[in-house]
Amino acid sequence: MMGKLNAYVDRMSQPCRAILIFCRLNGIDFEEIKVDIAKSHHLSPEFTEVNPLQKVPAILHGNLNLFESHAILAYLSSAFPGIADHWYPTDVIRRAKINSILDWHHSNLRYGAEIYVTNTVLGPAIGRPRNPKAAAEAEKVLLSSLSKLENIWLNGDGRFLLGSFQPSIADLSLVCELTQLEVLDEMDRGRILSPYKKVLGWIEDTRTATNPYFEEMHNILYRAKKKFQQQRSRIAESGTETTNNRGRHSKM
Amino acid sequence: MKLKVYADRMSQPSRAILIFCKVNGIDFEEIHIELSKRQQLSPEFQAINPFKKVPAIVDGRFNLFESHAILIYIASAFPGVADHWYPADVSRKAKIHAVLDWHHLNLRRGAAGFVLNTVLAPLLGLPLNKEAAAEAEKVLTSSLSTIENIWLKGDGQYLLGGFRPSIADLSLVCEIMQLQLLDEKEHDRILGPHKKVQTWIASTRNATKPHFDEVHNVLYKLKLRLSLKQSSQADGERKSGIKGPIISKM
Repeated sequence: MMGKLNAYVDRMSQPCRAILIFCRLNGIDFEEIKVDIAKSHHLSPEFTEVNPLQKVPAILHGNLNLFESHAILAYLSSAFPGIADHWYPTDVIRRAKINSILDWHHSNLRYGAEIYVTNTVLGPAIGRPRNPKAAAEAEKVLLSSLSKLENIWLNGDGRFLLGSFQPSIADLSLVCELTQLEVLDEMDRGRILSPYKKVLGWIEDTRTATNPYFEEMHNILYRAKKKFQQQRSRIAESGTETTNNRGRHSKM
Repeated sequence: MKLKVYADRMSQPSRAILIFCKVNGIDFEEIHIELSKRQQLSPEFQAINPFKKVPAIVDGRFNLFESHAILIYIASAFPGVADHWYPADVSRKAKIHAVLDWHHLNLRRGAAGFVLNTVLAPLLGLPLNKEAAAEAEKVLTSSLSTIENIWLKGDGQYLLGGFRPSIADLSLVCEIMQLQLLDEKEHDRILGPHKKVQTWIASTRNATKPHFDEVHNVLYKLKLRLSLKQSSQADGERKSGIKGPIISKM
């Protein structure tokens, strides 16, 4: 046995949530160490020792430091006993297909969703200037990615990615990315997501398959969502934007 | 049925796959998809890869795209591939995955974006985007620093301190090779500060010869054509005192 597993995370970070849900669901014994991005803890010398690239999530398992959430999910699937095969199948072909969607994710769904949410809600909440041009470009990538999910990745007999009947680490990673859209204004979120019926169904299925841990790990995001909703109603009522935006945690 | 590799040697990830297959003696058929002629948009190729990108492979009834997934698949599915390319050891494998993941939005995004928006766009009939080039350069420079100072730390001369190359070395070096298309001054300005990176590129090239240079031939030929045009344009400007557009074709 390699010794204790430490997971360095911020629950406002999409890939962190995927790791936490995976560990809890699979009964992996670990310690959750909070790295508060909004307070710049990721830039501390202590955390830089764990991950010189200063990003969450990161893990420490015995002698191994590891970062990049897909590498972590794949590692956990392989290094711990008793993890059901469907998470990261040993079959070379099925695994390859999952690897391809994990790869696709970075420059597509992740890039589009993260930049869009940062430039419309999460960035301004911590005083960053709005960048409508960046938001518009990110939205294009996001919509294109949703379309690919709807029409290609969710094709097949099962309800999960690649037509699978059971979720894999890819489902967990991508769904946790999409839940970040919860902080958007309701109309905006509806406009973006509602055309994609399969995607909406798949998010629900993934949630169901991983509850109660899914809900538990998303609690902080839901609280942030509520705060933003209240702020938006206050602004709508008063007709002016407050000059002192007290916002929620930032993105990594 | 033989492995089919759909590739354009002008594509960085395509080159990584081709070199990997040749170095490991894998029996395969290379099918050329000419990006400059938009062949990736044909209905035939769309049936192979609905995302219309190279590289893609077909192995029996199984199609696959995304070069990292392909490299991992080939390393795992074909016998005789030496362990150092994609180690069986779970921890070492995980570290290689981390570099491969990091690559997408860092070196790949920076290098490809920079070369596209400074050199390649006109050749593909696309407009040059100075703003995009500046952004890409920031990402590229930062990525090269990360490779120099973090990924190349350790005893060996390969990524993650390895003594032999892995699929991560091949993927990232093929990406950096695209910078060969920049003019000499630009190329030296960008790569010059990174000594370890330069040594690593040379080591990787050496470890995979003669296939590395053979697969990069198309790129070297284009580089030559571009540099001749650049010097003849410079001559023309000197003689006539007038600056004209670079008329270039693939």
